[in-house]
Amino acid sequence: MAVASNPETVEILINDIPVQVPKGELIVESVKRLGLEIPIFCYHPRMKPVGMCRMCLVEVGFKQPDGTVRKMPKPQAGCTLPADANMVVYTDSEMVHRDRKGVLEFLLVNHPLDCPICDRGGECPLQNNTLFYGPSTSRFTELKRHAAKAFPLSQYVTLDLERCIQCGRCVRFTEEISGDAELAFRFRGASMQPSTFELRDFGSKFSGNVIEICPVGALTNSKYRFRARPWDLETKPGICTVCSNGCNIWFDYRVQQMVRINGRANDAINEEWTCDKGKFGHEFYNSNERLTQPLMRQGGSIGPANWTDVYAEILKHFAEAGNAAAGIAGPVASCESYTLFKEMFAGFGSTSIDHRLYSNPVSNEIANAEKSSISSLESAKTILVFGNSLADDLPIIFLRVRKAWFKYGAKVIVAYSGANEVESFADVSLRYKPGTEEAVAKALSEAMNGALSAGVEAETGVAPSEYLRAAELLKGSGAPIISSAGLQNLKAGKEICASLQALAATINGRFNLYALGANEEGARQAGIVPGKGGKSVGDILKACKKGEIKALWILNSDLLNEYPDRKLVNEALESVEYLVYQGWEKNETTAYASVVVPMTAPAEEDGTYVNVDGTTQHFAPILKAREEARPAWRVFSDVMSRMNSKELIFSAAEIRERLAGATR
Amino acid sequence: MAELKLLFKHAHDPAYATLKGYQATGGYEALRKAVKGERQAVIDEVKKSGLRGRGGAGFPTWIKWNGIAKDKKGPHYVVCNADEGEPGTFKDKQLMEQTPFLLIEGMTIAGFATQADVGYIYIRGEFVDAARALRKAIDEAYKAGLLGKNILGSGWDYDLHIHLGAGSYECGEESALMSSLMGERGMPRLKFPHAPLPTVAGLWERPTVINNVETYACAPFIIQNGGDWYATMGASTKNSRGTKIFSVSGHVNKPGNYEIEFGTSLMELLEMAGGMKGGKLKACVPGGSSVPIIDAEACEKAIIGYEEMADVKSMVGSGGCMFLNEHTCIVNFIWRTALFYANESCGKCTPCREGTKWMFQILDRIRRGGGREDDIQTLLDICSQIDGRSFCGLGDAAAWPVAAALRVFPQEFEYFIKNGRSMVESEPALAMLP
Repeated sequence: MAVASNPETVEILINDIPVQVPKGELIVESVKRLGLEIPIFCYHPRMKPVGMCRMCLVEVGFKQPDGTVRKMPKPQAGCTLPADANMVVYTDSEMVHRDRKGVLEFLLVNHPLDCPICDRGGECPLQNNTLFYGPSTSRFTELKRHAAKAFPLSQYVTLDLERCIQCGRCVRFTEEISGDAELAFRFRGASMQPSTFELRDFGSKFSGNVIEICPVGALTNSKYRFRARPWDLETKPGICTVCSNGCNIWFDYRVQQMVRINGRANDAINEEWTCDKGKFGHEFYNSNERLTQPLMRQGGSIGPANWTDVYAEILKHFAEAGNAAAGIAGPVASCESYTLFKEMFAGFGSTSIDHRLYSNPVSNEIANAEKSSISSLESAKTILVFGNSLADDLPIIFLRVRKAWFKYGAKVIVAYSGANEVESFADVSLRYKPGTEEAVAKALSEAMNGALSAGVEAETGVAPSEYLRAAELLKGSGAPIISSAGLQNLKAGKEICASLQALAATINGRFNLYALGANEEGARQAGIVPGKGGKSVGDILKACKKGEIKALWILNSDLLNEYPDRKLVNEALESVEYLVYQGWEKNETTAYASVVVPMTAPAEEDGTYVNVDGTTQHFAPILKAREEARPAWRVFSDVMSRMNSKELIFSAAEIRERLAGATR
Repeated sequence: MAELKLLFKHAHDPAYATLKGYQATGGYEALRKAVKGERQAVIDEVKKSGLRGRGGAGFPTWIKWNGIAKDKKGPHYVVCNADEGEPGTFKDKQLMEQTPFLLIEGMTIAGFATQADVGYIYIRGEFVDAARALRKAIDEAYKAGLLGKNILGSGWDYDLHIHLGAGSYECGEESALMSSLMGERGMPRLKFPHAPLPTVAGLWERPTVINNVETYACAPFIIQNGGDWYATMGASTKNSRGTKIFSVSGHVNKPGNYEIEFGTSLMELLEMAGGMKGGKLKACVPGGSSVPIIDAEACEKAIIGYEEMADVKSMVGSGGCMFLNEHTCIVNFIWRTALFYANESCGKCTPCREGTKWMFQILDRIRRGGGREDDIQTLLDICSQIDGRSFCGLGDAAAWPVAAALRVFPQEFEYFIKNGRSMVESEPALAMLP
């Protein structure tokens, strides 16, 4: 919204310097071309400008044909003023400086100035602007506005109303970006305050973002409140590993403790937003349940062991088992680890490895198909969301789909069995009866030919006219079809995917079966799938139950809770003779392990992750490894060197180099 | 000059609020004449008349009407600003209650000239009687085929709706009014050159004409008798034509609405209202609470006209003329005015939101005897920090009266600050307390 995509350029004068800008570009953006800055509070480049705070007032005039400049009588808000021919802007005049002082004096009139105890102190736009442009003292001697200092809007966001400067960024975020409109202003004048409707819980799935865009310490992070001062924190770039979107984040830590997560700008992926799952879902780094040293079962109980014994024990069982050994890899490990995982199992002589924790995994052909990139979704004219609650499963993709509709007017069709956020802006919503996905996918294909089979309404609960409306929009639209890998947990998962792929072919679009796990794509690319004669996850578990698999290695997956058939997992884990659990946190599955191998978490190791649309991103180590925890690849390398005297690998970079060499 | 009753000519007659009575005095002749001719002819007539917006800003009406796209690509709207909230102004209330058909016919003419499909009358929430009168009149007009489908056989359809506001002064600001009408929070929107004019993208982003009640009510007379005829009224002024209704209140013997020709002097208006009551004339707020206050000396010189009032550093405004006698304490008067604006600021922009409250807090302290020497300078600074810096006109409207009072009556403020009590030997303006 900030930069108009107008190809026509105009010449404007900024502080007497001529500069070419696209016609209609906002002045606040134009001045950046000269390296200048107009101070702002309410303006945000990713949201519509409103001109509320008046911090960006500049002097504006127009060059007359005779060469003189006719100034506008009043100063103008730079954040809302579109550039036009002959425009003359002054950002440094005496009047501008006086106006900035005036606005800041007003803003501080009702601001408590409790910076010494404020979370925002040290990284606060109000502090910064006051320091650069504001008056050094205030003439205000009356009573300040008072309000509750810590009003919990939700479990994540705490509102300190006294600090609020009513810029409306949070309100606009929920209206324009997340679309839930959870926040609004109530009351008016000096009493105006952002609030949820009837003070209900702030239930947005993206609520954490308002903390970051708040230009003061009014909206604070409930989990971070009073835990650190910004200048005590160390900040490094990282990747969110809570879901498959691969959002870029800033990792704030202090004395080896993860303190908070902030969004990091990457226009190709998350722009600058985070979802609440990601922003508040990194508590596991500081968990008391972290696995920090190798454990080995001796007799009935499991206890600490040293690495030498652990390696010897593992090697004994797995090398002996040969093809009766199997490996199940969870979706959160680095590509480097996956590569060696596969090599190690090849060394054992087993082809039974798999990463697909689904009951009905689809064919490789569909899984390996190229996916639409996240950024390309916003330019789609039509989008079909099928079979998932997008804001829950793929939150950042949801934001893009909403942006495609909100900003570019895309038509959106959603097919899902329950209420979901996409419905609020979808042109057609096919809310079908749960479990009838296959019939719905079939009906959509039929509707493309205008001939729906009888009884489709009775079966799916959706009127034929709705299918036809959807088909009308889809016809030749090239619409991307957005589904999540979760479809593979449905009974007819394979058939649904096949008919969606066929549908994509008829509308000239692309069927995207987006992965759900942080590095599920990486595992797929590394080839963690059953080789010749190998077994898939479901078959491995069944074989464990029958005693055909003697040794099972689980790489970082709480299988009991992550695989849809809990009963089968339970029986398999109880039956299998030897179980290695490698992961960073204690969970239900670890209880069955014969050996527990502690693993470093993503921010603690050097690793590569591939996100949902196939973007490969590198995550440099940030925190130190916990006690004896090791990167998974190092354990694999150690085991292999003991097994067949393979050369030891000392760094993840070596593996990357080797991979690069292989593809060269 | 005496009163010149044009809009109010038949206002005293209850029958005038019925369609029959209205038509008996020549009502709807103008619309009949308009729909027979070209749309542009209506706008040309309004241009000739020199009619300017009666809501306060005095913007030439024809420019707004002419700004609507001639080649229609979607709905056009006509909106009437009947959210008469300016303290001291009560002319629209009487117009709507006693001459509802003038407004309806005026809006129909405007609708015809701009090819509008729908008209909305946004009425101040408290004006229940006015809304009832209009409802009745609109229903009658529909029955007579003067609204709705195929008006007067012209093939043109036009609907008229009324909408009651919820009691916010800010909703009288045209863009906030449109937001409110659309069901949004009553906050002003971006204006030209930051956003297109309402005539390009107004209500629901469609071309919209928005005028005051009195402005629309003038239209039937202009069309019926011609713009040239209308322009003969007020010819003695620089650029103000026709009549203007003033709501005279304060310390006068006969408060009420007085319709006068532009060019009448302020003292003549005072005379019409029966002269001062309870004491000599001290000051006057000639155009509603937001226009600058003037003292008795300036009142003597004041001629009513948009440009002429500027000569005495004030404005015609919306015509809410308040005369104050010698026993009025200006500090208390301004204190009450400041309270109004602090209450009514919508909160959108910083200067108005924080400045209006701060001004009130200072004036309140002065009034309680806690004034300090630097308060006057602080107040003047706050005024200059609001004036022209706020998002919409409300900020300016809040700053002008305070700045003007400090300029015209500085001694009263100085006395109050120094002595902790009013300079005026009377009870504080109790009648004005909330």
